[in-house]
Amino acid sequence: MQSKRLGWILLAPTLAILFLFGVVPFFYVVYVSFHSWNPFAVNPEMIFNGADNFRQIVFDQAFLNSVGVTVMFVFFAVVSELILGYFLAQAFMRDFPGKAIFRTIHTLPLIMAPIIVGSVWKLMTTPSIGIIPHYLDEWFGITMNIGTSVPAAFATIVIMDIWHWTPLVTLTLIAALVSLPPDPFEQAQIDGAGKRQIFWHITLPMIAPAVVATVFIRLMDALRTVDEVWMLTGGGPGSATRFVGVHIFKEVFPKTNYGYGSTISVIVLYLTIVTCWLLYVTMLAPRNKRD
Amino acid sequence: MRIISLMGASALALAAGTVIAFAGGHAEFWKKAAEPFQGVTIRGVTESSPPSLYIREVLAPEFEALTGIRVDVETTSWDQMFDKGIKDMEAGTGIYDMVYIEQDIIYSYLARDFLTNLSGFLADNPELQAPTYDEANFTTFADYFKDDDGNLYGVPMEAFLKVYLYRKDLFADPDIQAAFKAKAGRDLVPATTHAEYAEIAQFFTDYGQENDLKLWGTTAQAHTGHVASWYEYFESVAPTFGVYNWGIDAGNNFSASTANGGTMNGPEAVAAMEWWLSMRDIAPPEAPASTWTEVGTTFGAGRAAQGLVYGENAGWIAADETKSLVVGKVGVALPPLADGVMAAAESGDGYIGYYDGGAFGMPHSSKNKAATALFLQYIGQNEVQPDWAVAAPRVTNTATYDDPKVVAFNEELGGYYDLIKDKGYLFAGAPAYPFHAQVREATAPIFYQILLGDLSPQDGLDQMAAAAEATLSELGYRQ
Repeated sequence: MQSKRLGWILLAPTLAILFLFGVVPFFYVVYVSFHSWNPFAVNPEMIFNGADNFRQIVFDQAFLNSVGVTVMFVFFAVVSELILGYFLAQAFMRDFPGKAIFRTIHTLPLIMAPIIVGSVWKLMTTPSIGIIPHYLDEWFGITMNIGTSVPAAFATIVIMDIWHWTPLVTLTLIAALVSLPPDPFEQAQIDGAGKRQIFWHITLPMIAPAVVATVFIRLMDALRTVDEVWMLTGGGPGSATRFVGVHIFKEVFPKTNYGYGSTISVIVLYLTIVTCWLLYVTMLAPRNKRD
Repeated sequence: MRIISLMGASALALAAGTVIAFAGGHAEFWKKAAEPFQGVTIRGVTESSPPSLYIREVLAPEFEALTGIRVDVETTSWDQMFDKGIKDMEAGTGIYDMVYIEQDIIYSYLARDFLTNLSGFLADNPELQAPTYDEANFTTFADYFKDDDGNLYGVPMEAFLKVYLYRKDLFADPDIQAAFKAKAGRDLVPATTHAEYAEIAQFFTDYGQENDLKLWGTTAQAHTGHVASWYEYFESVAPTFGVYNWGIDAGNNFSASTANGGTMNGPEAVAAMEWWLSMRDIAPPEAPASTWTEVGTTFGAGRAAQGLVYGENAGWIAADETKSLVVGKVGVALPPLADGVMAAAESGDGYIGYYDGGAFGMPHSSKNKAATALFLQYIGQNEVQPDWAVAAPRVTNTATYDDPKVVAFNEELGGYYDLIKDKGYLFAGAPAYPFHAQVREATAPIFYQILLGDLSPQDGLDQMAAAAEATLSELGYRQ
């Protein structure tokens, strides 16, 4: 009994901080989302407007567009990171000359702040000045201009995200692969299973929880991407890379549309939870049921 | 680099000589006035620009040595500066005792009653009134930071014009002059009309291609996802075609569309857009990804023969050899204008370009107002201005123009200070709108579509005018 009380006492500061900085702001955002509130309006007060903001969001073409480009971005970035991360993890499971150095270099992007990553990529991709457009033009005759080309801007952001976050996926998958017992693999080899069969029927099912956890983390991160995109394209050209995070930022900060911005935040949180739940239901729940 | 070294040298020299410099009786005032605030730290947030860095590196340490009041100036990006300052003032947390007020945001701040009336504060606290500080010392740019009763809410710390910069060396090259005359049938001189400007721009872009040079005829601040392009159009291009105050008529129910009495989508606005887009198309390839910073870099790298460039960049482009490849090769002129625009500007009914700048203000939420008022007066004195004007080209006090150091530096800048002094009145800051950012953000996405060619200038401006009016109605300004 005493140890239980001690446990709560020790937990109390953490819970208090979580409550103050996590729960209270969340409920405040939900509260604001039912109001019209722009402090630079003639009437700067918060005015309750029921579900008007939620109704508006359904017809808000700019928001729907931002959801569309975000989904595309998340799909291309996360899937690429997962595939690339798996192959790199497999590579790092083997010995090769310079492995330690390569692994260190490969992990370096992880320690960079997103805003720095955005700045670096901006320098590298500025039309005609950056190293990437320069060599694309010199070696292949390809003109790359992220200021005018929607595909170029979008692809650059996806590649930048892959460069930045694949090391995280690699590290997670290395941890999962290292922990796998050797017996099933040996038995499968004795039974004559091919590499592909071993991957689909043994490796993948066994590392599935790690894969799902990694996808969850990357999915949530990718859905709220702002800094890198802000630095690189500012959401352009036009609204081609105006992801949900950038859209919310523009709505809440420069436009000071706090009410509607809060509504978008709530909806995006809801969509994120639903997406993660669907992922869990389709990938992990059946397996847990079987177990 | 030159600015940094100048600042470093100035910091050492000035910090060491502070007491001597102010020993003419005034040092006593600062010491005495600061006595009650020993150990106090005042904090400010500002944009990481040369004038602000000078405050942080030179003026703050100097003031600290003189008074014992510590000054902590946080320099950050333009967006972050506003974000941090506004959040602090809204919440009333009092983290910052000073905030940078860009000229275009002052009306929003005044509408929200964020700022302390400095004139009133000093009048109520005469013991803080520095003998070397006088509001009358400021140029007329200070008027942007005053209310209707003439009370000052910010001490001006930078003021620039967005000027027409051109390459003197190219314009004076006999071969180029001859080639231009053969092609255009007139002498190569800075343009005074849009047609002349376009002709020169096309000539130099062609010249660059024909001679395999990395040279284009004009700059263009035409980023397709950053508000810098929106600003270039509304503040620097549209006024030269006679479209003022973003085409919104504040005296006519804040109308933007021609149907309601505005000019945002009128024929002049369309002509301005078409002309500007045609210039963008013959500018260096980086133009669609260029903000004000990249435009400065483009010009400083010698990639453009002419362009509209913010004064804060014009300084280093013209004089900083460590950053610019065109030092000593830059001239300044007034921007090209449509018929009638100069006459309107002369009579005060219009303006020909953007007068940019900012001030340091004291939020109501400041917890160290008295100490802050001392520092704000310190940076507003005539005495500290000349070195500041040389290290980070900007002028906010009238007397600065006549200082020998500044007169000499003006030569290096191709007469830039003369232009501010003599022609500054023809330029104007942003209109007095408390809804500045809101209307900008409501119309900018449509503006980017025009830049991308998804909308024609007329259709895009029609949509922008409608969006501006809808936002103004939503905010309650338009009935």
